[in-house]
Amino acid sequence: MSTPGVEGTETASSATDDLSVNSFAGDVWVNFKRWNLKAVRNPFVLVVSLVQPVIFLVLFTEVFGNVAGRAVEGALGPGVTYESYLVPAIAVQVSLAAAVTSGVGLVNDVENGMFEKVLVSPMNRTAVFIGKTAAELFRIAVQIAIILGLGVVLGAEVQTGLAGALGIVGVGVLFSLWFVAFSNSLAVITRDQESTIIGGNLLQFPLLFLSSAFLPLGALPNWIQTFARVNPVTYGVDAARSLMLDRDVMTVSVIETETFGGTLDGVVPGVAVLAGLGLLLGGVAVVLLSRATSADVR
Amino acid sequence: MSGRSERTTPSDGGEAAIDVEGLELVYGDGTRAVDGVDMRVPRGEFFGFLGPNGAGKTTTIKVLATLLSPTDGEVRVNGFDVRTAARKVRASIGYMPQETSVDEELTARENIRFACESYGVPRGEHADRVADLLDLVDLADVADKRAEEFSGGMKKRLDAATALVHRPPLVFLDEPTTGLDPKARNRLWDYFERINDRGTTIFLTTQYLEEADQLCDRLSVILDGEIVAEGSPAELKRRVDGEILDVQVEGGETERERAATVAREFPAFGDVTVSVDDEGVSVTAETARKHGTDLLVALRDDGITVTGFDVRAPTLDDVFLAITGEELSADPDADSEMHETEGVVG
Repeated sequence: MSTPGVEGTETASSATDDLSVNSFAGDVWVNFKRWNLKAVRNPFVLVVSLVQPVIFLVLFTEVFGNVAGRAVEGALGPGVTYESYLVPAIAVQVSLAAAVTSGVGLVNDVENGMFEKVLVSPMNRTAVFIGKTAAELFRIAVQIAIILGLGVVLGAEVQTGLAGALGIVGVGVLFSLWFVAFSNSLAVITRDQESTIIGGNLLQFPLLFLSSAFLPLGALPNWIQTFARVNPVTYGVDAARSLMLDRDVMTVSVIETETFGGTLDGVVPGVAVLAGLGLLLGGVAVVLLSRATSADVR
Repeated sequence: MSGRSERTTPSDGGEAAIDVEGLELVYGDGTRAVDGVDMRVPRGEFFGFLGPNGAGKTTTIKVLATLLSPTDGEVRVNGFDVRTAARKVRASIGYMPQETSVDEELTARENIRFACESYGVPRGEHADRVADLLDLVDLADVADKRAEEFSGGMKKRLDAATALVHRPPLVFLDEPTTGLDPKARNRLWDYFERINDRGTTIFLTTQYLEEADQLCDRLSVILDGEIVAEGSPAELKRRVDGEILDVQVEGGETERERAATVAREFPAFGDVTVSVDDEGVSVTAETARKHGTDLLVALRDDGITVTGFDVRAPTLDDVFLAITGEELSADPDADSEMHETEGVVG
C-alpha cells in the first residue's frame, strides 16, 4: 500500500514539551460547537421536542380556549386571552421536553465510546460539560423563541414587548437547568438510553398538569393546588407569565412580595426559586459526573 | 514468519515511553486485576501485550491512559506520572480503545477535526492534518459521509486516525482488530506499521498471536494480572522445544484420546508434550519431524485412521499454550475484560 500525502504526519513528536492544550474557554467552545453540530445533524430531536408543545399550544387554545378563557378572565380580569395565558406554559413545556435529551446525549456518548475518548483527551472535564450544557441551553432558547413567535401568530401578546420576550426566553432557559441536571443525573445513574428518556418523560406531564400551567390555581382541586405550590413548573410558568402579561401573576402566596413593584414581583421570586433549584440539582449532577469521570477505582 | 521480530529496538537514550514498577490495581469488589506488573517500553518500540480475556490487559492500558488510578506502584508515561501529571500524559498519548469510539452523527472529517480541536492542534494546521490522516487511513473518498454509514473496519480506521491528530509519541491500541475481517485487519496492520516506522511508540494489546508475531518487536504475556513471559516473538518461540506434529484422526473423543496415548508412549520421541484438540492431537517433540511418519504408522497399526498431518515450527499459540496451559481465545466476539465498564464509571 502506498503512503499518499502523509508528509504532514511524517514524524511523531519526539519531545513531549511541545504538547499543546486549549484554554478552559477553548475547551468549552470546542464542545459547544460539537453539540450544536450534532443538534443540526439530528433535526429529528429538535423537531420532536417541539412537536408536542406545538400540538398542545394549538389544541389547547382551540379546544379549551372558550372554557379555559373564562376561568382565566375570572382570575385575572377581562382582556387576558387564553393564548397569551398559555404561551408561557408552553415555553416551559418546551424547556422540559428539550432538557430530557441532555441526558440522552450523555448516555449516547458513553455507549459509543466518545465519553471515554473525551476523558482520555487533555480537555478540562468541567469545560467539556459546560460546553455541552451551553449548547443545549442555546437550543432551548431557540426553541422557546420559536414557540413565542408561533404564539404571537396565534394571537398571543407579549405585553412587555421585545425585552419581555427575551426575559421569557431567559426564564425558560433558567427553568431548564434543574431538569437538564436531573436528566444528566439519570443518565449517569442508569447509563441507559431508554431509562433516561422514560424517567424524564414520565415526570413531564404530572409536572405540567399539576401546576398553574394550563389553568389558574383557583380553578383546580385543592390537592393539585397543594402540589402546584411546590412544583417548579408553577414558578417557571408564573415568572414567564408575569412577563407575558406585564403584571404580577405569581400564584404562590408564600413568596408573595411587593419589593420590586409590579411585574417584577411576579418574576423575581420565580427566578430565585429556579436558580436555587438549578444550583441544588446542578450540584448533584456535578458530583455524579465527577464520580463518573474519576479515575478512582471502584 | 515474523516480519519484525528481529528488528532491533532503538537505543533508549533518555526516558522510556512507558516505565511501570510494581503496578497493582484492585477493584472495589476485591478483584486483583493487575498484580505487581513491571514493564519498560523504550521509545520507538512496537510493544505487544498479550493475554487471554480477563488477564488484565485492558485494565493495564487504562491505567497507562489515566482512565484508572493505580492502587499501588509507579507508573510513568512519556516521563509523566499518571497520578500527578495526568493531563500531560493525556496530551502526549493517542488512545484507541477496544470499543470503536467515533461520533456516528458526524462525518469522518468532522470527527478528525473535533479530535484536532480537543488536543489543541493549532487552527491553521487543522485542514492539512485532517487531509493527511484521511489519506493515511484511506477514508479520503468518504470524508464527508457520516460515520454511521461506515463498516466496522472503516470506523476502526477513523478511530485510529483521531488518535493521531496531535502526533503523539506514544499510541495505545487496545485490541484494535477484534471483530474485523482478515482484509480489514491486514489493512490496519499496514497502517500501524507505518506509524511505528515514523518513530511512534506503539503499545498494542491483542488476543491474536498472529498479530503480535507480525507486528511486535517485543512482547509481554500477562496472565491473571501477572506478567508470565517477556521477549521478542522469536525468543518466545524458542521457549517451545522442538517442532510440532499435528495429526488429524477419524472418529470422536475416544479415538483422539487413544491417539494421544499412542503418541505419549511412542519411544522415539523421548521428551514429548501431547495435547488433544477438536480434530486430533498435537505432538511437540524435538524429533517430531524425524519420527513423524513412524508415529503415523504406529497409529495405523493401532487401528486409528489418520486423515491429515502437518509438521511445523512453533507459533506463538504454542508458546502461549506452553506458558499458560491454556489456549488463547481468538474469538472476536469473546467478552472484553470484566471490569471494562467500571473503568469508565471510574
